[in-house]
Amino acid sequence: MAKKKSDDRVNPNPPCDNEEQNFDEEPNFDDPEGYIDDISDEELLGDLLAQKPKESDGYENVIVVDGCPQVGPERLEKLQSVITKIFSKFGKIVNEYYPTNENGVTIGYIFLEYSNPQNAAEAVQATNNCKLDKQHTFLVNLFTDFQKYAEIPKEWEPPAPQPFKVQSDLQWYLMDPDAYDQFLVGIGTGVALQVWQNALPEPVMLQERPTYAVWSPLGTYLATFHWRGVALWSGPKFAQFQKFYHPEARFISFSPCENYIVTFSPTAAATPERPEDKKLIIWDIRSGQEKRSFPPPEEYVTWPIFRWSKDDRFFARLGTDVLSVYETPGFGLLDKKSIKIPGIRDFAWSPTDTVLAYWVAEEKDVPARVTLLELPNRTEIRSKNLFSVADCKIHWQKSGDYLCVKVDRYSKLRKDKTELKYSGMYYNFEIFHMREKQIPVDSVEIKEPIQAFAWEPVGSKFAIIHGDNSNQQISFYQVNTGQAPSLVRKLSGSYNHVFWSPAGQFVVLANFGLTGGALEFLDTNDFTIMNVADHYQMSGIEWDPTGRYVVTGVSSLKCKMDCGYYIWSFQGKILRRVMKEGFAHTRPSCPQELVAKRTEQMKKYSEYREARAAAWAEQRARRLELRGYVDTDARGAAGDAVEETVEFFVKEEVTVID
Amino acid sequence: MKPLMLQGHERAITQIKYNREGDLLFSAAKDSKPNVWWSLNGERLGTFNGHGGVVWCLDVDWQTINLITGGGDSSCRLWDLETGKNIATIKTNSSVRTCNFSFSAYQAAYTTDKAMGHPCEVFIIDTRTIDDSISTAAPILKWEITDSKVTSMIWGTLDETIITGHEAGDLIQWDLRTGKKIHSVKEHAQQINDMQLSRDGSMFITASKDQTAKLFDTSTLELLKEYKTERPVNSAALSPILDHVVLGGGQDAMEVTTTSTRQGKFDARFFHLVFEEEFGRVKGHFGPINSLAFHPDGRSYASGGEDGYVRVQSFDQAYFDYTFDYNRE
Repeated sequence: MAKKKSDDRVNPNPPCDNEEQNFDEEPNFDDPEGYIDDISDEELLGDLLAQKPKESDGYENVIVVDGCPQVGPERLEKLQSVITKIFSKFGKIVNEYYPTNENGVTIGYIFLEYSNPQNAAEAVQATNNCKLDKQHTFLVNLFTDFQKYAEIPKEWEPPAPQPFKVQSDLQWYLMDPDAYDQFLVGIGTGVALQVWQNALPEPVMLQERPTYAVWSPLGTYLATFHWRGVALWSGPKFAQFQKFYHPEARFISFSPCENYIVTFSPTAAATPERPEDKKLIIWDIRSGQEKRSFPPPEEYVTWPIFRWSKDDRFFARLGTDVLSVYETPGFGLLDKKSIKIPGIRDFAWSPTDTVLAYWVAEEKDVPARVTLLELPNRTEIRSKNLFSVADCKIHWQKSGDYLCVKVDRYSKLRKDKTELKYSGMYYNFEIFHMREKQIPVDSVEIKEPIQAFAWEPVGSKFAIIHGDNSNQQISFYQVNTGQAPSLVRKLSGSYNHVFWSPAGQFVVLANFGLTGGALEFLDTNDFTIMNVADHYQMSGIEWDPTGRYVVTGVSSLKCKMDCGYYIWSFQGKILRRVMKEGFAHTRPSCPQELVAKRTEQMKKYSEYREARAAAWAEQRARRLELRGYVDTDARGAAGDAVEETVEFFVKEEVTVID
Repeated sequence: MKPLMLQGHERAITQIKYNREGDLLFSAAKDSKPNVWWSLNGERLGTFNGHGGVVWCLDVDWQTINLITGGGDSSCRLWDLETGKNIATIKTNSSVRTCNFSFSAYQAAYTTDKAMGHPCEVFIIDTRTIDDSISTAAPILKWEITDSKVTSMIWGTLDETIITGHEAGDLIQWDLRTGKKIHSVKEHAQQINDMQLSRDGSMFITASKDQTAKLFDTSTLELLKEYKTERPVNSAALSPILDHVVLGGGQDAMEVTTTSTRQGKFDARFFHLVFEEEFGRVKGHFGPINSLAFHPDGRSYASGGEDGYVRVQSFDQAYFDYTFDYNRE
């Protein structure tokens, strides 16, 4: 204690001066008698003393388990074994204490100590409110919680207001003076992501970062995936807008009005803050709050699991024989119970109304049925029975004016062990006129296999590609008020996808696949073919939201070579070709390192060639000898080369003269 | 420019070669009749009838007087080019895989397959006077190859050595005075499909099933350069005028039907000789390319494919204008 002081006193000279003399003799560090220390330990070694073990240390390893059965000494051992079995799942129990009353009967709560706080936290998370049996429910708390709750101040203090954070304009991109759009290009798997402004004459790159990302439905946010969760970026600088902590989130979906985001991480291991039943989470985008979490679906389902109504008011989830509709902002089940629909197979919300369409599979004597259900009052506004149904697909027109249900029907059904085999397939398109009184339904039947169906997003036409591979046809139908759909045009061509312009009228027909790549740009007002083009091995097509541009792309996931994208005008004029690999059409100037490397290679090679050329010259005499003194060294200088006229027989005509 | 399509074979092309002047193009195929064409316009000059099966290899001497062919009918034949007559037929024990005239054409070499209980052998024959007596005359030299069989062969510098490429990827240089190995290297992991000399004979390029082509020094077998692709290389040729090489290949014939022609697997691919960088591709074949040859003037090249076509492609001006950036001294 206070050695420094005493040392100074005994040996007042600076140590360096008398280092030599003091080397042998030990200085006297003892305090002289009657010396009173005038400096406290806290003052001198405050930082060390703070680390001194305290009595309360290790309390965070301790949990209190309340709600245990009260047993006498004769059954204590049994209780102990049960408790140990349950709680040693979370880590090694180093200490346990079963308080008893004067009769030796346990008093209903016990103390368990783990070797570290993580185990304790895990145990609390997992076993709190767990039922042991009918009468007993564990109430598990950390020992430190008692202190925390005991220390809550009596008087409530209002929270200090947070300083106002200036939010950048999220819709800034809509104010672009030239109304340019932006697009996103992902390169490689997580190599780079670029945001481009589709400006004229050349697109401008706005941002680049090495992640994977998607746009929100209205384009306000850009969502990027990270190991720790999902982040949203917005504003002119693409500043971080919100982040959602959800480790290993793989799937996200936005609600249509961008109020909510759903994240799903199917693979992440359960952690105390993200247990197994919280793998599917709905967040509020603006506040970043977790609104509700769900356990992961038991079986494989298609993403998105939740489908939202157009105004974010409802979202629904398909279950076995049940349709669960939830309400926002409460995030509870609508009317506190799911809608029981035995045999429900699929459903889809109308894009403009709070109406959903679902279909129910055929069951012995009960026909299959397509139903339109209005929410929240749950009235069936229309339903239609269908027979011999193998499968149904629900296609809403984007303006909500029409609904088409593509019905795959069969003429023969054969049961092959557990599998059902359909044969003699034919296809019906049931068209629901949503805007007319009582919703009349028309039907279009096609006997050939269907490749694709698509509604005109704005308008009343739809296109069907049908026929087998050798003989494909594209039929365009027009739907009129009070009339059955009429065939307006039939075209042939080997296309297997239809892409309508978001603004309607224009359509791109495309052929995907290994040998595909054909494109046709069509104006459906008068069915003129505006252009026929080709993008070899193309694997995807996107219209820009205004319907002015089309992008065709070859994804590197599909194809290793010639990845890239082309931008076309809606008329099929090629605007730009971008290749991300292989040979670019424009030749970029070489980076300096490459030039240096090549120069080095060329220098080495030239040296080698010089040596070889010298050796070759030396061998000249021998070569001449071998080839009978005809000099064949120089190219084209064959000694006996002479101008030669080569005559070719071109054509023979025989004219027969009588 | 539009390529010339030479359609004269019924089956896959096995080897094509220009003569030294470049006016004639010779082609051998899996049908039994090698063809000769005018390289200028693609007109067929004639066929060489006599083989009874696949013709694996052919070579023309430097004066364009004689042609040597070897085939699966266990024969090596010599032809008079002026008349197209079969002058001599040397019977062998198994298929003749490779055959070549020496630099002087005073000698020729051929190798046979290890098959039907016979070993793989190399033969050197005297071709100073070519007449029917060759058919029965004993070879000047012959030796057995005990390990993996010879799949390609070229003559080395002057008439002193030959170099053989093997099924296991080895390259061996043999001294013809003694019949002994001088050098042996193993730079390839799989079969060497083709070897072609540079114009002055000081270097040669190998094409291997291990998806690479490599450039070697003829006298030392030193590895100089490597050209990598993503598919087996069946043939590689060196440009006589520029520092360019062309590589051709594709999948094995048995896998071809499962592949689309438009997947670019059957392109002829151009690399810079020194920088080992690819700078161009020519498509056209709908089967793997089996043999490639540059015209001696370097202004066109020919390719023969599994599809049975020979394509003669002239280079556009853009090919000659294309240069690589590097500091010239």
